[in-house]
Amino acid sequence: MTESKTLTGSALLFEVLKEHGVQHVFGYPGGAIMPIYDALYDSDVKHFLCRHEQGAAFSAVGYARAAGKVGVCFATSGPGATNLITGLADALADSIPIVAITGQVPTSAMGSDAFQEIDIFGLSLACTKHSFQVTDINDLEEVLYQAFEIALEGRHGPVLVDIPKDIQLAAVTQRFDKLSHLKNKVKLPLADISKALELLTHAKQPILYVGGGVGMASAIDEVREFANKTGMPSVSTLKGLGAINPDNDNYLGMLGMHGTKAANIAVQESDLLVVVGARFDDRVTGKLDEFAPHAKVIHFDIDTAEINKRRTADAAILGDLKGNLPLLTMPLAIKAWQQKVQQMKTDFAWRYDHPGDNIYAPALLKTVSDLMPSNTCVTTDVGQHQMWAAQHMSFDDPSNFLTSGGMGTMGFGLPAAIGAQISRPHDTVIVISGDGSIMMNIQELATIKRYQIPVKIVLIDNAKLGMVRQWQDLFFDGRLSETDLSDNPDFVMLSRAFDIKSQKITKKSEVKAAIEEMLDHDGPYFLQVKIDATENVWPLVPPNTANDKMMEGV
Amino acid sequence: MNKYQLVIMADDKQVVLERILQVTRYRGFLINAMNAEVNTGNNVATITMTVSSDRPISLLIDQINKLIDIKDVKVDASPTKIPQCSA
Repeated sequence: MTESKTLTGSALLFEVLKEHGVQHVFGYPGGAIMPIYDALYDSDVKHFLCRHEQGAAFSAVGYARAAGKVGVCFATSGPGATNLITGLADALADSIPIVAITGQVPTSAMGSDAFQEIDIFGLSLACTKHSFQVTDINDLEEVLYQAFEIALEGRHGPVLVDIPKDIQLAAVTQRFDKLSHLKNKVKLPLADISKALELLTHAKQPILYVGGGVGMASAIDEVREFANKTGMPSVSTLKGLGAINPDNDNYLGMLGMHGTKAANIAVQESDLLVVVGARFDDRVTGKLDEFAPHAKVIHFDIDTAEINKRRTADAAILGDLKGNLPLLTMPLAIKAWQQKVQQMKTDFAWRYDHPGDNIYAPALLKTVSDLMPSNTCVTTDVGQHQMWAAQHMSFDDPSNFLTSGGMGTMGFGLPAAIGAQISRPHDTVIVISGDGSIMMNIQELATIKRYQIPVKIVLIDNAKLGMVRQWQDLFFDGRLSETDLSDNPDFVMLSRAFDIKSQKITKKSEVKAAIEEMLDHDGPYFLQVKIDATENVWPLVPPNTANDKMMEGV
Repeated sequence: MNKYQLVIMADDKQVVLERILQVTRYRGFLINAMNAEVNTGNNVATITMTVSSDRPISLLIDQINKLIDIKDVKVDASPTKIPQCSA
């Protein structure tokens, strides 16, 4: 315990950040947050000036996801605060612990439509786990402690703290108050272990369905032990990728809309789903009524509200996966089922033999995956390149694959990679982006330039909004509405304007050498990869269709 | 549409009522009537709300329960008439 001392609200903020081990913050200054930026001047916290508040929010998300820590971002009132919203929504959908600090106009001006005043507190209700507005300086310390506690408690999520300018300037005595624990933590009901054991011992064709909750619960070892000991075939959601060792013989890859054929068929034929940290998202289930129609469900989750939300659980096990899953870890007699899924895995394995000289994105991404150093962190944007990365790259930990899952936010990849690289300076960080997505936060190339952040950018360029174009071709009679990007900027010249080494490749024969050059380069690198604009992501489960009725080409 | 009466106990914190209204609307429930009172002795608010939806009430109860300031949510099995408002 340290002695109490008097300081400003802004200085107190940095004391509380220090108490929580925060070393790095992403943000953008402005009028109503100037006292905080003035206190930053005297602080040991390293601040990264992003070039848009959305970039700051996504860098905080990337930082949090890559390092398993709370990400912190700052923005001023009004437009600064509203620019954070997409990042907060993304963090809410993917359960990422973020603390966002926004400046607000002085309390005396609040509610008067003051310059750069917006009700960010009201706006935050739908896009944060919780939010605060501090109108009494004596509440500030407790609120900041609670913000960190809430971000990490139970199912993680973003918390916003709105601090008016006069509160930032007010004098306060720091109490080092660590006793302000949450009062209303939900007491989880007892887990239905005996029912789960009964279901498990009677199952002949069980599947382990792995979600993003596994990494967040730090239960990767327990899930791998369960997969190994039971021998249960496993599938993963987009956010669960990396939780199961990709070399596991019974691991079938991603399920759902762009999942592997083996994963989707196995799930449809299963008689038991053991669901760990996943939530039956619509991109996973396809037509919900026909998803795994013969399967009983054992559902492990930390969030009570996910149980029975989209699929009824026959046994619900609420609470910490790390402690609960070992209770069900035991050998199972499912040899025939294992052989069947392994045969499907062989029969439906990806093929990379592609005619012609043009670069085939799945093969290129597999090459990146094969050549990248161990513990490389890959971020993606959203669209075709994202699904190809999920299908054709291998990850040995969920913190090595950062992608916007629930919100599907284009513009995520570049700033998330910046955050990831800052949290893990000794690991390689690669952004896989598309020519649509990259332009959504292209200004962050200036952040890369300023801090010489050595992220490697692989731009899969088909001069299209490729995923929308694919759907227009397949489901809207080929009426290509507003998906042509053939007037894109010269990306090589653009990167050079930010002092980033760059190269453009167009032929298969150039792929390996270009990837090696990129990975060997010490600083940031921008590799533009031209691909055929007509390539589609396969397989594809069409909307409102059962997962075993996937399209595999046209 | 099924009708339910909920009794919610919450800490009397900033915007707790707005949070309940937002979650109720977003999760697909209409508010037919509501009443909110604060016990100034212990700063606990009691919110009584009649809602209707085709969706199961457990969906809304779980989501309201997730709000940080909520202490308890119950379905009142014997609904009594509560004052109408235009929420």
